[in-house]
Amino acid sequence: MARVIMDPLTRIEGHLRVEVEVGADNTVSDAWVSGTLYRGMETVLKNRRPQDAFYVSQRICGVCPISHGHASTMSAENTYGLTIPNGARLVRNIIECAQYLHSHVLWFYTLGALDYVDPVKALSANIADTYDLAQAAGTTTADFGAVANRVSEFVNAGLANNRLSIFTNGWFGHPAYAANMPAELHLIAVAHYLEALHIQAEAAQVMGIMGGKFPHFMTSVNGGTTFVPTEEKLDDVLYRMTRVVDFVNNTMIPDTLAIAPFYLEAAGYGAGCKNYLSWGVFNSPSFALTDRYLPGGVIKNLDLAAGTGLAVEAPDPTKVKEYVERSWYDSQSGLNPADGETSADYVEYDVNGKYSWGKAVRYDDMPMEVGPLSRMLVGYLAPSELPEGVRSPKDLVDFALAELSKAAGAQIPLAALQSLLGRVAARNLEAAFVADLAIASVLELVGYVKDGDTKWFEPHDVADGKGVGLWEAPRGSVAHWMTVEGGKLASYQVVAPTTWDIAPRDKDGTPGPMEQALIGAPVMDAEKPMEIVRIARSFDP
Amino acid sequence: MAHEDCEVLYSQLAARGVTRRDFLRFCGSVAALLGLSETMVPRIAAAVESAALKPRVPALWINGGACTGCTESMAQLGSPDVATVVLDLLSVNYFETIMMAQGEDAEKAKADLAAAGGYVLVYEGTVMTGFDGNALRVAGKPQTEELPELCEKAAAILAVGSCAVDGGWVAARPNPAEGIGIQQFCEDHDIATPIINLPTCPVNPEWVVAMVVDVLFLGGLDEQGKVAQALVDKLDDFGRPKLIFGQTIHDNCPRRGHFENGEFVYEFGSEEEARGYCLYAVGCKGPQTFTNCPIVRWNEKATWCVEAGAPCIGCGNANPLSAGGNWVDVGAPFLNRLPDLPLSDTTTVQPAAAASVVGAVAAGALLVHGIGMKAAGRMDGGAPYEEIRESDRKKGGGR
Repeated sequence: MARVIMDPLTRIEGHLRVEVEVGADNTVSDAWVSGTLYRGMETVLKNRRPQDAFYVSQRICGVCPISHGHASTMSAENTYGLTIPNGARLVRNIIECAQYLHSHVLWFYTLGALDYVDPVKALSANIADTYDLAQAAGTTTADFGAVANRVSEFVNAGLANNRLSIFTNGWFGHPAYAANMPAELHLIAVAHYLEALHIQAEAAQVMGIMGGKFPHFMTSVNGGTTFVPTEEKLDDVLYRMTRVVDFVNNTMIPDTLAIAPFYLEAAGYGAGCKNYLSWGVFNSPSFALTDRYLPGGVIKNLDLAAGTGLAVEAPDPTKVKEYVERSWYDSQSGLNPADGETSADYVEYDVNGKYSWGKAVRYDDMPMEVGPLSRMLVGYLAPSELPEGVRSPKDLVDFALAELSKAAGAQIPLAALQSLLGRVAARNLEAAFVADLAIASVLELVGYVKDGDTKWFEPHDVADGKGVGLWEAPRGSVAHWMTVEGGKLASYQVVAPTTWDIAPRDKDGTPGPMEQALIGAPVMDAEKPMEIVRIARSFDP
Repeated sequence: MAHEDCEVLYSQLAARGVTRRDFLRFCGSVAALLGLSETMVPRIAAAVESAALKPRVPALWINGGACTGCTESMAQLGSPDVATVVLDLLSVNYFETIMMAQGEDAEKAKADLAAAGGYVLVYEGTVMTGFDGNALRVAGKPQTEELPELCEKAAAILAVGSCAVDGGWVAARPNPAEGIGIQQFCEDHDIATPIINLPTCPVNPEWVVAMVVDVLFLGGLDEQGKVAQALVDKLDDFGRPKLIFGQTIHDNCPRRGHFENGEFVYEFGSEEEARGYCLYAVGCKGPQTFTNCPIVRWNEKATWCVEAGAPCIGCGNANPLSAGGNWVDVGAPFLNRLPDLPLSDTTTVQPAAAASVVGAVAAGALLVHGIGMKAAGRMDGGAPYEEIRESDRKKGGGR
């Protein structure tokens, strides 16, 4: 038995500690995930105005501020009984699309890839073979020779005096890197790692143009948007969005399909709680949760291999409860966030007692995985109507499974989605979905502007009441609850995506989704537990 | 500088598809940010060229109570190919958000840097002092336990973003997490390491690159590896580079002409917005916010807040040593002309005269103009109208 602690878990947004017990059979027998930062957003917003919550609450996350901002404005609009104009719906959807593309590209190449791709291995690639391989894999080429030189110069200059910058003490040559993955594929991935830095910035520029700036945007105020598109701005948005979409379709998806066959064992573990929640994201004209282009839904005890648990329920925010028995709070446990409290109270870190700043959030008292896998599963099993030209989650998942089956020479079943590999693949396939939707939405907005009868903002008065904004950030379900009294916020409660996934144990001692995904995972090297960090990062926490 | 010495840098630039011309243009924009004349461009270029021959300068990027937005912002640099060459002259051996290593291996990289000292410390986020520092735990202990040594041994500290400068929104009252800025933390621990404060939420990456060039390559550090007096002299009372934070947004706003004409947006998404009128009446904090956002812009210079019809919320307002100076306490309610006056931790009152809400008619232009000028601290009586400048009016709203 060995206790393995990863603290800090790096290459994520925020601060996370992962502690696992590795049994004699070299698999994880128990796991504790601890959110180690408390910033007190909910207390800061209390007694301020509902209009201010949009600006402040999005600062919870510098990678997904758009989604938090949207959840906040939807919460106010829900409180006031306000529907935003169609122009604002389109503008918000496009900004959100850009953030999804930005975030998923960033996760795969900048954060996640180093767990599967070894930059040092790339140095032994044959350049001519790299071009051949890129062509065979159907992915884009780059100046592979120049990239190899750049990496080699960087490594040599850095090795000489321990100045390897962000690559210092990385697990180069770890046996968990697929031994049979050719050096040329490592080099392709490194080249695209560098290119991805440009693409994420291009996506961020779309958010900037329509949102004022990114990170932390300015335009999706309660009632609509402050952004009034002009022909020039729409041209600019379409041009940049097209470049991002091309990268997703012609580089990121082929790269995923090229690398995945070397890591098929990752389809054998890491599934977790097998309950999936999505509030839904990208509003259709009806604004109904289940009509969203990635629809809202709840799936319980899904077992795709057995074909059970396939029913998708419509999501209901009153079924959410937050437990604090194992978290550093002394407020009442088991409250719905509409009546929630946040009263922080630190006591010593103890995995048998309290061990996280995260509350144990539950739906119908069950832990729920949130994120791209949940959304793609809900979209697969309970599809909504999509704009023309947008491939459905089912189209994309079936396409990927067919391609992978070809590469593996064996049928890869749908059940492979419920795994570490499935969670990573679902994110990239979702990027392809959003890529289609982004272009369709920009073209719809162009048509809306051409028709001339535009409206971007619904004037309104602040009204007292209770409301909730339900939405999805790239990394999962986000909801903001507010109570307005006398024009001020009497209460503001946020359940962020990572709150769901890194939830600690609840009142019954049931582990949270990431904890469950870790339990049962193999650990090749307890000193350098690559499988552990892969699983933790696969949630994009 | 001998020609062959430049080769190292230019091969690095060439590997990124960057020409010497691109590089000099980049040096020109750095010179502008640092307030240097064009004649200084060759010196900047030479400084960067010679730095490329030396071992990378050690640096440490520490995330406090952060949202990671400032790290994100660094990925949105203008002319990234050239700028990253400069940033690659740093060896950021510890950088939680993007570093390859994790757990003990990551901590070891940090410990090795601390042992050697003389690095540049970039601090992102709020220093979390609440719950005896347990509001932020790293590697099993409060971050505030390791911070004194890390700050003490640094050659210089760059506080990036409003949170690092004065606690930012995390410091807004009432919050038991007890966030403060890194300068306050150093004062509390008698640490004398020079600090450069770069507020706004998030930090504008162009400023960070300019300051890296200034500190590391233009003689910002003296022979002992400490910050030179010449650099300290360039900072204002809040430890901010005067050149970047010396003028208000209002001073340089492309919509300024409309302000002078009394042409305001009173409702978002309106005809007035389509014409690019001034956002003063919907609460724009441009007149009391000292940053050069309208000039440097955001996201590879593609945009900035006001250009998208959004009134400035004053996210660059930061007061390093004053509790309650953070941009949220100072600026909220953001869509009103004046802040709420705190009566206690939970009760506030809005000064009635100039109150305006979304969709309502704002106070008269003369009155608001006067208030803005007062808030900017530039005059004490009424406000005379300035002459209309044709050049401003032409720029109106970027349309």
